[in-house]
Amino acid sequence: MIKRSFFTLSQPRLIYDSVEPDPKEPELIPIPPNLILLLNEPIDNTRQALVKKGDAVEKGEKLCLYNDSTEYTISPVTGTIGTIDTFADDFGNTSTYLIIKNDQNQTSQIDSATYDLKDDIISADQYLRTLPGAPPLKNIARGDVKINTIVITCADTDLLSTTHQYAMLKFWDLIKEGAQVLKKITKVPKICITIPENSNIHGGLDSILLFKTALEYPSNLPAMVLKDHLNMVLPAGKTPEDIGVCFITAEAVVSLAKAYKTKSVSFEKILTVIGKQGARYRVKATIGTPLGKIFKAVRILANDQDRIVIGGPMMGYSTYTLNHPVQPEMDIVMIQDKNIIPEVSDDPCVNCGKCLRICPTNVPVNILVRYLEADQYEEAADKYDLDSCIECGLCAYVCTAKIPLVQYIRLGKHELLKLRADV
Amino acid sequence: MNNNKLTVSHAPFWHDGDSLFKMNLNIMLAALPAVIFGIIQFGIPALGVIALSLSSAMVWELIMNVISKKKISIGDLDSALIGLLFGMMLPATSPWWLVITGTFVAVVIGKIIFGGIGANPFNPALIGMSFLMLSWKVFFDFDVAYINYEFNFTALAPLAALKFQGPAAIADFFPLSDLIMGKQVGAIGSTFGLGLILGGVYLILRGYIRWEITVSFIAGIIVTALCFSLANPDAYAGPVIHLFSGYTLMGAFFLATENSSSPSNRIPMFLYGFFAAVMIILMRNIGVYEDGTVLAILLLNVVNPLIDNIRPKALGKGVTNA
Repeated sequence: MIKRSFFTLSQPRLIYDSVEPDPKEPELIPIPPNLILLLNEPIDNTRQALVKKGDAVEKGEKLCLYNDSTEYTISPVTGTIGTIDTFADDFGNTSTYLIIKNDQNQTSQIDSATYDLKDDIISADQYLRTLPGAPPLKNIARGDVKINTIVITCADTDLLSTTHQYAMLKFWDLIKEGAQVLKKITKVPKICITIPENSNIHGGLDSILLFKTALEYPSNLPAMVLKDHLNMVLPAGKTPEDIGVCFITAEAVVSLAKAYKTKSVSFEKILTVIGKQGARYRVKATIGTPLGKIFKAVRILANDQDRIVIGGPMMGYSTYTLNHPVQPEMDIVMIQDKNIIPEVSDDPCVNCGKCLRICPTNVPVNILVRYLEADQYEEAADKYDLDSCIECGLCAYVCTAKIPLVQYIRLGKHELLKLRADV
Repeated sequence: MNNNKLTVSHAPFWHDGDSLFKMNLNIMLAALPAVIFGIIQFGIPALGVIALSLSSAMVWELIMNVISKKKISIGDLDSALIGLLFGMMLPATSPWWLVITGTFVAVVIGKIIFGGIGANPFNPALIGMSFLMLSWKVFFDFDVAYINYEFNFTALAPLAALKFQGPAAIADFFPLSDLIMGKQVGAIGSTFGLGLILGGVYLILRGYIRWEITVSFIAGIIVTALCFSLANPDAYAGPVIHLFSGYTLMGAFFLATENSSSPSNRIPMFLYGFFAAVMIILMRNIGVYEDGTVLAILLLNVVNPLIDNIRPKALGKGVTNA
């Protein structure tokens, strides 16, 4: 954990990790006997599901719950379906998890099913949504807003993660190929790539813009890339897709290029794993592998009351189970020992203003939190810029009173959505 | 599917390690040079006043915690800091009941009844001070307070002398070196200018007080005092004596910068500091008070919520088509 420096007249600086110059191959995690797949659709008990316990599935088979489902997942192994049950996230949104029993007789060498991939976005969206890196094909295909810019992110968005940079360093040619594939299937005229400013990648990019992003957090976050490199302002409460810009990770582009080459999909996700003492590992695991298996493979012991963080220290989320599966969009997993988990407090804001000065979007956090504590969500959004927050986590990182500011903000946004939906 | 009991919480999962305890402890440490000098200068009575002030402030908060059935909150040292700053503003000869009454007003009326730490609209130590100054004015006449002391420098309170004798008469009494090195009569913690400046610079470098407030405050003193002095040198003294006597330096580094009663946006911080200083000089030069620091900062505390609305526009607000 990066602590406050002794002299802090200027802002604290949180620097993104850089990938090592000549990275070695990631450690391959063997395919476990049981894989867990998440399906972003709740179970409807009144209807007959298409998949049920005991069904045999092929490697590469597309699985969805109902006939009219738009959400799907793809089985990474040949085997049988073990359990289908409900999975709840931290705001109580439910989705479904499937446990697939890996048929032990088969090895990972078995060929995946091939698909009839055409050069259009609808066809890609039908099969490639769960590629490692989770390409946002659904957002591009949705059609209600026209995407006119695609940004490929080779610079990792959260601290400590080096997954995107690794993909950039190892598969630069595939990224270029993937960019052309993207251009072909999406017909988007403008494709840009963000790379960390200290990387020595250059040249060989026809008609693709190269953005060198600063090394200081949060300059790789979408809102900051829009502001610094595309001269666009993200309107409060909107996503980049709403203004026609789509962000796609380097790894997703690599998998897209591979998928169009082989007409089949890969399931091996590259992950940055951070141990308790800050040791860094890079592993390659099949999508659906429980995180516990990864920790075992890199010899990290997870004890009671430790915290497992998925997605980075500033913007990630923590999970309650070691069986949480590797997902297509998961770039980094870190584990914190129970002794170093920083505490939060219920002390009130003392108005020291550190949050104001570090906020990249000029949200008056000190006033905002008072409204949020009092459940005044409408006022918080109207007068104190609740919607402008990009949840980078810097305010709560520096808060002297240790208030869980981002938690208040996320809760506020969530409640506000409910309020507005009721109206 | 769950064997281990893991800790679950929300992002961010890191913290820079700062806390209210560390912040208040650092501010108290920064005040120590001036306090220790005051104790050496004014002897054991000064130590008694500081110790009583600090401890009684904490006891008042403890009592209020118990009465209001809240969790014990003296551990964040906020009351200790209020008590220390309050004690620093008292003359060494203050009677015990004056100290205890003052800390009661400071902690209970100035802070607790507004909702405790962070909720006070005024600087609590200054609330206590202003209450005492209006109620028992005689104890704050520093010339009377130290009548039994023998000093090896001019035993006149600089600001009182300035008020009643004019700048010409006292021109030779208070050389700059004496004022900075604490060779002046005043409150326990306010006389040692060098110590206050060192402590204040430490706090600015550590990021515990905001340099904007301090710098604009000092600029306000210099500019306003200079304007008066240039307009009528016979009636008004220059900036030096204003800056290094009375509570001015304490105000610049420790009082005006109190977190919850001062603004936190940049432009408001400059306005707040500057106008607090302008009010001080106005009170000293035109008003009836010898030293207006206490009331001037309280006045600007009132203005704080209003001027703190001057803030930069948040990202994506007011943009219709990007």
